[in-house]
Amino acid sequence: MAEPERHPFLQGLSKHRGAPPTVVVIFGASGDLTARKLIPAIYNLSVDNLLPADFHLVGYGRKEMSDDEFRKIAAKAVKDFSRREMDDKVWEKVAANTTYVAGEYDKKDDFDKLAKHIADIEKGVGSEVQSMFYISTPPSVFFPIIENLGASGLGGRYLGKPHHSKVIIEKPFGKDLDSAKALNAELRSVFEENQVYRIDHYLGKETVQDLLVQRFANSIFEPIWNRNFIDSVQITVAEDLGVGTRAGYYDESGCLRDMIQNHTTQLLALTAMEPPGSFDAEALRNEKVKVLKAIEPVNLGPDADMARAQYAAGMIGGKQVPGYLEEQGIPKGSATETFAALRLSINNWRWQGVPFYLRSGKRLPRRVSEIAIQFKKAPGTIFPQKEGFNLAANTLSFQIQPDEGLSLILNAKVPGLDTRTQPVKMSFRYATTFGSNTPEAYERLVLDAMIGDGTLFIRGDEAEESWKLYTPVLKFWESEGTKGMESYTAGSWGPEGADKLLTSRGHVWRQP
Amino acid sequence: MPGIFEALPGIDVPVASISKGLADMWEGNASQGKPSPGHDHAKAIQVNFVLHLGLKTDAADAVRQFETAVRFSRRYPCRVVVLCPISKETGTMEIKAKVYGECTVGKTPEDTRCCEFVILSYPRSAREHLENQVSICLSTDIPIYYWAHRFSEAAKLADYKYLLTSAKRVLIDSATAPADAEGFPWPKPQNVRDLAFARLLPVRQAIGQFLSRYPAKSIGVGITSVELAHGSELAPEAKVLLGWLRARIRDCGGPDGIGTLHAAPQLAARKIEINFSYPDKRSFKWSADLADGHSVFDADYGTGHAEMTAAVALLSPENALSEAMFF
Repeated sequence: MAEPERHPFLQGLSKHRGAPPTVVVIFGASGDLTARKLIPAIYNLSVDNLLPADFHLVGYGRKEMSDDEFRKIAAKAVKDFSRREMDDKVWEKVAANTTYVAGEYDKKDDFDKLAKHIADIEKGVGSEVQSMFYISTPPSVFFPIIENLGASGLGGRYLGKPHHSKVIIEKPFGKDLDSAKALNAELRSVFEENQVYRIDHYLGKETVQDLLVQRFANSIFEPIWNRNFIDSVQITVAEDLGVGTRAGYYDESGCLRDMIQNHTTQLLALTAMEPPGSFDAEALRNEKVKVLKAIEPVNLGPDADMARAQYAAGMIGGKQVPGYLEEQGIPKGSATETFAALRLSINNWRWQGVPFYLRSGKRLPRRVSEIAIQFKKAPGTIFPQKEGFNLAANTLSFQIQPDEGLSLILNAKVPGLDTRTQPVKMSFRYATTFGSNTPEAYERLVLDAMIGDGTLFIRGDEAEESWKLYTPVLKFWESEGTKGMESYTAGSWGPEGADKLLTSRGHVWRQP
Repeated sequence: MPGIFEALPGIDVPVASISKGLADMWEGNASQGKPSPGHDHAKAIQVNFVLHLGLKTDAADAVRQFETAVRFSRRYPCRVVVLCPISKETGTMEIKAKVYGECTVGKTPEDTRCCEFVILSYPRSAREHLENQVSICLSTDIPIYYWAHRFSEAAKLADYKYLLTSAKRVLIDSATAPADAEGFPWPKPQNVRDLAFARLLPVRQAIGQFLSRYPAKSIGVGITSVELAHGSELAPEAKVLLGWLRARIRDCGGPDGIGTLHAAPQLAARKIEINFSYPDKRSFKWSADLADGHSVFDADYGTGHAEMTAAVALLSPENALSEAMFF
């Protein structure tokens, strides 16, 4: 898709420096995500002069409050959660254009009130203003919000122009294939696909974008990025936290829905997709969809491709923690998994026969997300596996968080008269090379949506393909109840069943 | 009065053993418990940076630019080579060296970044040997950026052709560059960047974002005058800004080369005012005080009168460097 011609006064400025006049409306304005991520992201964009000249922030929520009260909440969010300290001058400018509209999510009259509020802002600005609706609410109110955006005419503003209305929607994009289809249908009844920005904040992380750069800007990788050289791929998204205050939500959701279906699968898609023809949103997302379609259905029967478990009491960081079933708000006998592992096969020319191991869980030893590409071992005929020859498989690992960077395991000669080998680690660390004060994922994503760049967002068909893969697993687990549910000690790397997925194929999990 | 080489910090080392000098320096730091690259992570380098202090640089200015390079390299870990020419002919060919290093301690040991400086003092007669000396001080295989600061004549830079041709970017500052810099036949003109233009990024961004609300033709077609008045401290930036405005107005359908520059003594030293005139009711005015970072837009392009304030400041020297180098 050709980029629309830029205004002459934006020539020479990067695409991120020319967002049109915009009103961002946050539904769920008093929510946790708004305070922790969205308001700080907007503040930091303002620090970097990346917000448009006419930028307005409108909080929308059920709670009655004045503009000033909302500004105070927003200021506190910046103080508490911004990666940079609050600069009063910068904040004053954002606060001056920050307002609040109280309303229900299911009342069209309240959306009409919002529409009038936006029209008034537009009148003040004196030119057409882009509206961006950020749905940061529980999924139970997604539908009424979308419907009312349509009914009030807000969803269709300036359709056909680059500054048409946009909607950003937070996961979960459904809870299975049917609900994902229903959500997409609802969105499409009001919006065109290019107005919809489904956010998975993992895609906004520098290291996830770096994965694309490493793969496609370094010619050494592409020739070996296939079944001829790669033995297996492991993707780990581990958390050390328990369910915390999200017990109600989590017990309805579980690990497969909460982490694997979105974050982990996105990492898989970016690792395994074919090179797109360009770095254009559609080209990239087409390739992701293609590779998702090529994943074989998960084997649910004997020698199953999946494992699930709940954490039992254990130790994290030297402190005793309760098991999942003892957590406050978790029903006794819950059949919700807090750990899931899968062995996936991709049925295409590039990946035939290379297992992709995915795992995610709560109360694992540490918070870490990584993609590890394990290459086939060198034939080793001149370095036979005996004492003194410690040959490791070359492993390229992308650490997504924390300590973002990548490392490569190579075999090297140990200095000395005898020839002995030892694996050594070659590392690149983002923080060391570029400093750690890099933009937060939400800053990048909010700005990308504002300028209409959907590259790092999930398309509707992509979400559906992912659910198509996991819905049979979810249904199977639902039908089984607690039967087959394993347990793992909090602070361990997961249950035995997860290990078996790998050992049966001659592999073992890494301990990142 | 010390020369520029003497004014800069660092440890004197023999030119033949600069690498050893750097290693000893870090070891010395570590033994005193000061931050040093305890492991290879901390010495990750992404930039080779040559700061060439021209003959018009005095000791105080050299220290200022050196400090800018230090601040820059905290953000972008570098191997920096600082070239200090000796203005008076000494009668010798001797090159002298100093090393300097600094680590920025981050949140974790992995977030510690270190940069290394090699400072070379050379007499004019040693110019032809400088290329080899500089090349062994730089880190292999990563891009070189060359900043020529306060050089006396652009023509003299021809002596450093290897830097002008091998550098990914050549940085000059039109605020301090000699008159012949504009017409100098740079070997790779596409790689030359003006730090004054880079410093103006927030200004270009603020004006660009504001004016991009209006159709290009409304701005350019029929425009009769562009006046840019500036205070005493902003003459070089104003000149660069006018060049940018002219190009943008031309692209909006306006006449080529429109616009006049006024040094306005009545304006505060760091104020700029821009005024576009039209034969009809259209208008555009922008007034900025870069000392307090405040600016006001006042415009009417037929869709109603718009008035808006915007924070604006010139980029800091180290941010201007990164803007000119990487963007």
